[in-house]
Amino acid sequence: MRANEIKDLIIKGDAAGTAWGVEEMLAAGLAVDDIIQGILVSAMNVVGERFREGQIFVPEMLIAARAMKAGLKILEPLILQAGRKYLGKVVIGTVKGDLHDIGKNLVGTMLQGAGWDVVDLGVDVAPEKFLKAVKEQKPAAIGLSALLSTTMGSMKTVLGLLEQEGLRSQVKVLVGGAPVSEKYATEIGADGYAPDAGTAVHVFARYAS
Amino acid sequence: MNSKERLTRRLAGKPVDRAPNCNLIMAFAPLYIGKPQSQFYLDYKVLVESNLRVAKDFDLDILGAISDPFREVFDFGGKVEFPEDDIPLCSDNLLKSYEDLPKLQIFDPYRSTRMQDRIQGIELYKREAGSEYPIMGWVEAPFAEAVDLRGMNEIMLDVYDHPEKLHQLLEICLEAEIRSAVAQIKAGADLIGMGDAAASLLGPDLFGAFALPYEQRLIAAVHEAGALARLHICGNTTAILNLMKLSGADIIDVDWKVNFKLACETYRGYAAACGNFDPVAVVQQGTPARIREAVWKCLDAGDANTLIMAGCEIPLSTPHENLKAIAEALRDYPRY
Ligand code: B1M
Repeated sequence: MRANEIKDLIIKGDAAGTAWGVEEMLAAGLAVDDIIQGILVSAMNVVGERFREGQIFVPEMLIAARAMKAGLKILEPLILQAGRKYLGKVVIGTVKGDLHDIGKNLVGTMLQGAGWDVVDLGVDVAPEKFLKAVKEQKPAAIGLSALLSTTMGSMKTVLGLLEQEGLRSQVKVLVGGAPVSEKYATEIGADGYAPDAGTAVHVFARYAS
Repeated sequence: MNSKERLTRRLAGKPVDRAPNCNLIMAFAPLYIGKPQSQFYLDYKVLVESNLRVAKDFDLDILGAISDPFREVFDFGGKVEFPEDDIPLCSDNLLKSYEDLPKLQIFDPYRSTRMQDRIQGIELYKREAGSEYPIMGWVEAPFAEAVDLRGMNEIMLDVYDHPEKLHQLLEICLEAEIRSAVAQIKAGADLIGMGDAAASLLGPDLFGAFALPYEQRLIAAVHEAGALARLHICGNTTAILNLMKLSGADIIDVDWKVNFKLACETYRGYAAACGNFDPVAVVQQGTPARIREAVWKCLDAGDANTLIMAGCEIPLSTPHENLKAIAEALRDYPRY
């Protein structure tokens, strides 16, 4: 199987085919990093692009992400065995009072695919819980997602809490979700904003350790 | 001209004193009359009293029984929490596995808890203001209900992984929604609104397979029972506008992300478009001047039967002068 064929399987959302293809690539001697960057991440970039352009929709994006994860799963033991470093750790979650998680999950999967160690705190995450995760997990960055104009204020609370605890300089804070904008991110003092999951990967990449 | 006459005439494309104000009111209503949120969801008397006050004070033209998406989930046996002063929360999915599908009992709306409460709300509306206002019942559309029961992430994968099981679930949801809609019509609802926001995440093929056919059957049942149907799919529905017009709905809501002129053209001859300024940036955060501009822009784009609303629910913390500004813009529009 050729790299492009595996990419197509990911784009089509064929998890079993992707896993099989990745195994073949390994057997053929391709390096883990090349498989991740050249196939998995590259396929998800295409998926992200097609989603942005309205050629595919949420279900297609989710099955592609699942296929990508199936490929990643084959590589995981090798990643750990080789002592290969993650890009770093990120903690993500949907803010307090907010149950919307599809966008946040996609961001998480894309980051995982790009080589981050992702800790997902789930939905309705209280500011204190983000704080606790920062203290315990020591991530390079945290990603806050909000889909409601009534809950996006919680992002500011998280930032304030980090500041108050003297942790603000130790962790980058990224925000996203439909009602959030670049302008809002700047206003509340976040380090970055991404309008979609594909862009989030690029923005987080700035903070790789 | 009262609201009932206004809506009827406008839908028929006949002259009106002003276009009907069809905004969706939920969490805003209890806040407006100083009642805790939970009472609005659990007690039809609070829902009716608060909506009547809002309709009178802000010149709305429809009295709605819409409140939250979880009435049916509750009556199916799902766990829904009602925080004292917040919107209801359903964080645990009732149908975790399709193996449990046979256990899913379709509820009898008359013996249920929350749908029965809604039916009583319609009866009360009818007594209090039935000759003056059109009364709108509400149900989840079958696809949205399937999502409420099983979870959004799950259904988004089911469309590929378990299409047949999903159709079985959708049949159950359809039956429950038809019963709920017909009971509301018998109680006095003039129109039935149905929410299918989750369907906005599907592309045309999947929308055509899993959402549209069930909307069509629900709407046919609403018509047969003698009421009008209003389809509400918020989100960016540009890719499915052409299919939505085939739903049979008399009114189709249009969220702010869609080009309203395009929507009005697409629905011409099929349904009245209802939309479509941004509920957050324009209504909640905008100024009366910006609201007037947005309302007039919609009216300019529309036809003789076009209805006006923000793309979705009026946000809780909307300043009162902004909601007033919508009514004033409708009243002052110079080109009816
Ligand atoms: C950290 O860095 C980053 C970077 C990028 C990030 C990021 C983080 N997070 C997201 N991104 C970005 O990347 C993603 C992929 O590219 C993108 O993620 P998105 O999440 O934007 O996009 C997803 C891929 C797809 N989009 C979605 O998943 C949202 C779809 C819609 C239909 C939606 C859904 C599905 C739901 N809802 Co709700 N819902 C709506 C939405 C209307 C619509 N059609 O858009 C919206 C968001 N809901 C709304 C509302 C009001 C509500 N919802 C509610 C409930 C629900 C459901 C539970 C039924 C369900 C959520 C299920 C779930 N598991 O997520 C209620 C609130 C519940 C709660 N406490 O959270 C309720 C309050 C309704 C009620 N009265 O009960 C509206 C919000 C209005 C506002 N601006 O405040 C809404 C826009 C609908 C509307 N038109 O009014 C980007 O934003």
